[in-house]
Amino acid sequence: MRKHKGVSYAKWGYIFILPFFIVYILFTLVPQLTTLYYSFFENYRDGLKQIGPNYVGFANFIKLFTPDKTGSIDILKYFGNTIILWVMGAVPQVVIALLLAVFFTSYRLNLKGQQFFKTVIYMPNLIMASAFSMLFFTLFSRVGPVNQLLVSSGMADEVIDFLAIRVSVRSLIALMNFLMWFGNTTILLMAGIQGIDQCLFEAADIDGANSLQVFFKVTLPLLAPILVYTIITAMIGGLQMFDVPQVLTNGKGTPNRSSFTMVMYLNNYLQTSKNYGMAGAVSVVLFIISAGLSAVVYRSLSKSYKN
Amino acid sequence: MKKVLSLVLAAIMVLGIASAAVAEEAAGKPFIIYAWNEEFKGFFEAYVQDALIAEGYAPQFVINPSDNGVYQQKLDEALLGDAQVDMFLAEADYIQKYADSEYTQDITKIGVTDFSNAYEYTVKAASDADGVVKGVSFQCCPSALIYRRSIAKDVLGTDDPAEVQAALDSWEKFEAVAADAKAKGYYMTASFAETYRVFSNNCTSAWVDADKNLVFDAQIEAWIAQTEKFVENGYTLTDGIWGDEKNAQMFAEGKTMCFFGPAWYFNFCMGNAQDPEKGCSGDWAICQGPAAHFWGGTWLMAATKTQNADAVAEVMNAFINNEEICSNLVAKNAQFSNNKAVNAKFAEDPEYGSDFLGGQNDVAVFAGMTDNIKWENHTIYDQLLNEGLQTNLQEYFKGVVTKDEALANFYKYVNETYPEIVTPE
Repeated sequence: MRKHKGVSYAKWGYIFILPFFIVYILFTLVPQLTTLYYSFFENYRDGLKQIGPNYVGFANFIKLFTPDKTGSIDILKYFGNTIILWVMGAVPQVVIALLLAVFFTSYRLNLKGQQFFKTVIYMPNLIMASAFSMLFFTLFSRVGPVNQLLVSSGMADEVIDFLAIRVSVRSLIALMNFLMWFGNTTILLMAGIQGIDQCLFEAADIDGANSLQVFFKVTLPLLAPILVYTIITAMIGGLQMFDVPQVLTNGKGTPNRSSFTMVMYLNNYLQTSKNYGMAGAVSVVLFIISAGLSAVVYRSLSKSYKN
Repeated sequence: MKKVLSLVLAAIMVLGIASAAVAEEAAGKPFIIYAWNEEFKGFFEAYVQDALIAEGYAPQFVINPSDNGVYQQKLDEALLGDAQVDMFLAEADYIQKYADSEYTQDITKIGVTDFSNAYEYTVKAASDADGVVKGVSFQCCPSALIYRRSIAKDVLGTDDPAEVQAALDSWEKFEAVAADAKAKGYYMTASFAETYRVFSNNCTSAWVDADKNLVFDAQIEAWIAQTEKFVENGYTLTDGIWGDEKNAQMFAEGKTMCFFGPAWYFNFCMGNAQDPEKGCSGDWAICQGPAAHFWGGTWLMAATKTQNADAVAEVMNAFINNEEICSNLVAKNAQFSNNKAVNAKFAEDPEYGSDFLGGQNDVAVFAGMTDNIKWENHTIYDQLLNEGLQTNLQEYFKGVVTKDEALANFYKYVNETYPEIVTPE
């Protein structure tokens, strides 16, 4: 007779997480591996004729990292653009979101109408990025309302070509990303702050800490795990930046390819000639960079708040 | 209250389902046409749709924009995949890709055999390397210089097409007039690429040679040199060929004298000029300009996998050989049809004239230009090479980058778009 050992609930745990793993393997792991596989092949379409797949070893990667006539390596330049665009948008995004999250959760301020504000700041995220970008394209074009306003009010002598100036194109992209994502970040960080034991804030108050001290000594250290999570997801999203600059610059990354991002580069390979070889190589490089950067951010941020 | 609301909602749902069922009943055999804008759809609905529906077909258009090659991508997926495509539209810049492939079929075998009234280049364009005809065009697209009469009067002292033509029949004269226009506060053209087709259409070599090397024809170089001069002297605006700033110049308050384009351009793309309030319909006229050329044109191609070959042939015949439809295209839609006999009839008709062109007989002007159209030096890559060259050089003309940088960016774009094309070092 079998000896009764008590009920094991462990298997239910595995069963419940199984759907995620099935979906992950089918829709993430397998495509990732095939992308890696295809990055070693010459595989594209010439007109309507399929060329390849022919195994070419590391040729695609070598091509990606071959400097051009002026000695610059395209993929590094586009990686640089991506990082600049991301940092320009992400720094204000995290700072403002942190500030708003602290205001909204402060029992001292006790702001009224929080639900309203939370909804409003989240709103831009509900608009499709491409529609948002198209809107900015129209607003800031040479014949757009912004230029009309500037010229008619005398603030500018002649029409400003916002989309042909590096700083303004990059700023517009950063501004759009900021507007779309700061609400989302605020809500995440609020959840993080609300998870902190309220007694700690009260105790700090009683001990005579001022708001700044409470923020830096209590809120920030205890918020660190959520903050790290927010920054890493924002960074992965930022490295994959595509729709906003693509639509704003009509896929050209103007001016002089200075707002051309990694994924736009990938898209150029894939769009017309279905060049899975080169596009695969770009995505493999992007994957390695994302993984590396995430590890660095995770380590540095979680270490600094451990003590 | 809630009960009323739920009743209303339920009623709406039931009605919705019922109407969907009715719509399905009316539908017949799907007849799928791929297109990149609504232009042909309008003609199709006006002239052949009813007949097809009566025969039990349910025509449907699948429309994707042409910009950045999107239309070609969607069409390729459909042709190579399982999607139903009966007929699709193709433009001059990439028709060869489809005509020279196994995905289009010999239309003489499905019942389109009479090309005697069609212009020769339209037939040649839709033929493969062996001369097998795969499609027809419903329009012939000699491209003209379209000018503002009032500005021409101010600058040249006349708005008579023959006299304007005499004043603008070479590039030297065109540039001299541009200087006069500038002196009077006008722009000669509104886009840096306005004259691109006039040059590129007269190239003596194709974009890509037999070894897949990218070739810069002398005409392209000439266009760059002229545009440099025009931008430097302020003869032109630096907007793109489809840009809003350029299109705003078509309003009555616009300061631009010349545009270039075929019949489809002024009747489909110059909406601003035809605007009843801000436009200036009637203040326009056409002449050949500095060099003969054509631009674009829409061909109807027969997909090899169509199960509705009869309907495909019926549509094709209607648009090239049905005199009534071709006449309507000219009279009602201001097209220059692909039927020589019909065009000749309008060209000689003293009663016929275009209101938009101040009563000028545009058909007569275009008919005189058709002999100069040649179909040569085309490749399957033309659309994106033309587009890529223009957008990359635009930055140079705006003064954002140097010429070398602009060309380097163009080569990068070519390498990314077409791995098989070899760009100069």
